[in-house]
Amino acid sequence: MLRVSLLGLALAVSAAGSMSRGFNQLLGAVVRIDVREVAFEDGAKRFNASIGSGVILSADGLILTNAHVASPRAVELSVTLSSLERVSARLVGWDHWTDLALLQLDLAEVKRRGLKFSHAEFGDSSKLYVGQTVYAVGTPFGLTRTATRGIISNNDRYFEDSRGVNGYETGAFNTWLQTDAAINPGNSGGPLVTEDGKVIGISSRGYLGANNLGFAIPASTAKRVVEGLARDGAITRSYIGLVPREMQDLETFYSVALNTGMLVASVDPGSPAARAGLRPGDILLAINGEKVDGRFPEQLPPIQNRIASTPVGEKLRLTVKRGAQTRDYVVVTEKLESRVGEEWVLEKWGLSVRKVSRTFARENQLDDATGVFVIGVQPGFPADVAGLSRGDVITKINQVPIITLDQVKAFHADYEKKPAPVLVEAQRNHQVSLYVLKP
Amino acid sequence: MRFRIFLLLLPLVSGLARAADLPALWAQRLKTVVAVEFYTETETERRPTVAYGTVIDRHGTIILPPVTVNPRVTPSQLKEFKVYRAGGANGVPAAYLGQDALTGWHYVRVEAPLSAELEPITDFAPAKPQEPAMAEDVWGIGLRNKDEDFQPYFLMSRVALIQGLPQRTAIALQEVAGPGLPVFNRAGEFVGLAVSSFGQSFVQFSRLDRSGTPVVLVNVEESSAFQVAAEVLPYLGRVPTNVFGRPLAWLGANGLQPIDPEVAKFLHLENQSAVVVSEVLEGSPAEQAGMKARDILLAIDGQPLPRLKPDRVVVAYVEREIERRVPGATMTLTVLRGDARQEIRCVLGDEPKLTNEAERRYFDRIGLTAREFVYADAVALRVRTSAMGGVIAHFVKPNGPAGVAGLHTDDWIKEIDGVEVKTFAAAAGKLAEIEADPARTEFVLLVSRGGETAVLRVKLR
Repeated sequence: MLRVSLLGLALAVSAAGSMSRGFNQLLGAVVRIDVREVAFEDGAKRFNASIGSGVILSADGLILTNAHVASPRAVELSVTLSSLERVSARLVGWDHWTDLALLQLDLAEVKRRGLKFSHAEFGDSSKLYVGQTVYAVGTPFGLTRTATRGIISNNDRYFEDSRGVNGYETGAFNTWLQTDAAINPGNSGGPLVTEDGKVIGISSRGYLGANNLGFAIPASTAKRVVEGLARDGAITRSYIGLVPREMQDLETFYSVALNTGMLVASVDPGSPAARAGLRPGDILLAINGEKVDGRFPEQLPPIQNRIASTPVGEKLRLTVKRGAQTRDYVVVTEKLESRVGEEWVLEKWGLSVRKVSRTFARENQLDDATGVFVIGVQPGFPADVAGLSRGDVITKINQVPIITLDQVKAFHADYEKKPAPVLVEAQRNHQVSLYVLKP
Repeated sequence: MRFRIFLLLLPLVSGLARAADLPALWAQRLKTVVAVEFYTETETERRPTVAYGTVIDRHGTIILPPVTVNPRVTPSQLKEFKVYRAGGANGVPAAYLGQDALTGWHYVRVEAPLSAELEPITDFAPAKPQEPAMAEDVWGIGLRNKDEDFQPYFLMSRVALIQGLPQRTAIALQEVAGPGLPVFNRAGEFVGLAVSSFGQSFVQFSRLDRSGTPVVLVNVEESSAFQVAAEVLPYLGRVPTNVFGRPLAWLGANGLQPIDPEVAKFLHLENQSAVVVSEVLEGSPAEQAGMKARDILLAIDGQPLPRLKPDRVVVAYVEREIERRVPGATMTLTVLRGDARQEIRCVLGDEPKLTNEAERRYFDRIGLTAREFVYADAVALRVRTSAMGGVIAHFVKPNGPAGVAGLHTDDWIKEIDGVEVKTFAAAAGKLAEIEADPARTEFVLLVSRGGETAVLRVKLR
């Protein structure tokens, strides 16, 4: 009886035509990822556990997932194959800007245990049309191998979030696929596929509290990032310090033709663009002679990506219109950095810190990137007792200016060896205060 | 038997006799208290305020608590001052004289017919005011609201604690007078002035929040804290000669932060207090005298900063030391820089133009008040004074054209229609021109906010 009904199911699947083989292969490539990661926030080293999804992309066990699932903070990555067998994996690299991370299955373990898996293939995300049926496969709320169905709701959604991936920036360099296929927590990192099982996106986020508003990173972006991560372990991007804005309806005011140029809304102080003389209110007409069209917000990520893809240290010729005049400016690109610096916990002081980055310093109008930012203190420990709290920027320890995180670690190591009072200078909203950390 | 009853009654009668003098004292002292009503006229609103005041002389001069007027408001926006006697239904017009920087008091003066009926608090001040003793009975007057004709009522308590904040301030067991109103002892002598905003901590429980939330409650109608007479009487004569309270002494050492006893011990500073100077303002007397950011201020004119509790009170102490001086006065500051002590001789300057002295103009069609960029803006925005220019969006009408375009209060407007506006006059001229042109449908602003700029397109309807 059971056999008959199973047969009936198989018949039904094959009746769906092209879906069967490719889709089944895809199902064999989708994995559940259990992550244990270290968190530094509360002045102590703590471990968090979470569940995400991923998709195997190659016979040698490369797995693509989200950066907000697997980050360099992960201390243990465990992958559940479609056969329900668990295998460990390691992080190859991550890229929070596109919310993607690449893992490597422990092939020795796979071989030793004689495990099998299939791998998926990318489809062409540029050919997607709104209304096309797609499937999201993953592990929503830990429910392994869940497939949900929907359509492409929008294939060019712009959204940028300066804190979107666990406090890291995301979305500046790509647009997103939007789908109404149910995407729940745990789906993150799982593939969004067409009926033939081709990966056209990586499910990444949904609107909490909204109905069926899910977002995925398109395969066209993912393909590039996978190559880069597999090769270098990281994606290096260039930065010039322009904050772009769409021209939409400002063309008349700036006397430019429609579909011409991008508005420079802001220029980061001290950035390559600022040094070259660019100013807010300038219109960027061309990059190295290639015309720029930033009429709508959706057109900004490709322009940003064009700048970011330039090798670091290379010259860019920007054609800029200011008032009635048009002239070229040459900027030399710098390496793009996140606003989130390296984090660490100084356990004897009960103090979690994060290196102040250039971006963080600029956002908070600090004079320079000196110091470490307090991200948490543990109640009752020396830092808390002295009065330090989240938001303070430690600029000096025992009168020595803090330029690197290693300096702080060294002071803490000395304290660990021989506890003695330490004088800390910190500022909050540009107000300087002194604190003594006492054993 | 009869004799015995008499003996029993005696203590009671003498107690009554002592209490009986209070009604007389009360009736007389009612003449020292008034309610003051005025209107604050902003761009789109007209809001009444009622404050309590104490009469300080025979010309009808009245002092009001520092918090009476919102610091964002400029004196020209304060209208229709009226003074009511306790229990009085009719307000008598009064003039606003300004705020004194040292005490923070606002001064008003009421016109003739009423001023003659009032009695200054100095009439009840002892020749040599003494701090009230611990547990001493103190009493004062509260005033009901306007709809009850500011009916006076009696409040009484006992002194529980006296502290330097940095002014000597007595805290009573419970509310003892309306904020801004005098406090008396049993003999009817003036012992202090009730201060406003004295908060008390409570934990609030509710059905939704069973673990409780700490809250601070401030009784705005009555106060249980008062500055003692010696902190009040010497300063009553500081009647401002102009509404801005100038001259204002200026040092330019910004962001003073107290050091706690642990830090003091680490720096070998025993039995005294100190403050860290976060920032020395550009072009200020402190800068000219050679003060540096992160100097630790130890003494003023040779006097070490006193240990006050809580630690932050010492900041108010230093600020008062500056405010009690006049521009041109010399102040010798002892600072700790690195490991060395240094003496810095500062000649105090005149405070640069304040925000409430800045020129401002409201453009109704645009929904924006443009305000002159002043020195304090350069400090707040962290720009060099050489970069001063443009105007500040002092008020943005909610859902008005500028507001819809994304302009926020305190945004720094640098360009209008692509043209840099260097001065208030240039910006106001440009905005007036746009506003007056009925053919205008839109214009563009370049604004700066938190160090980032944005281009805003304002659509006019």
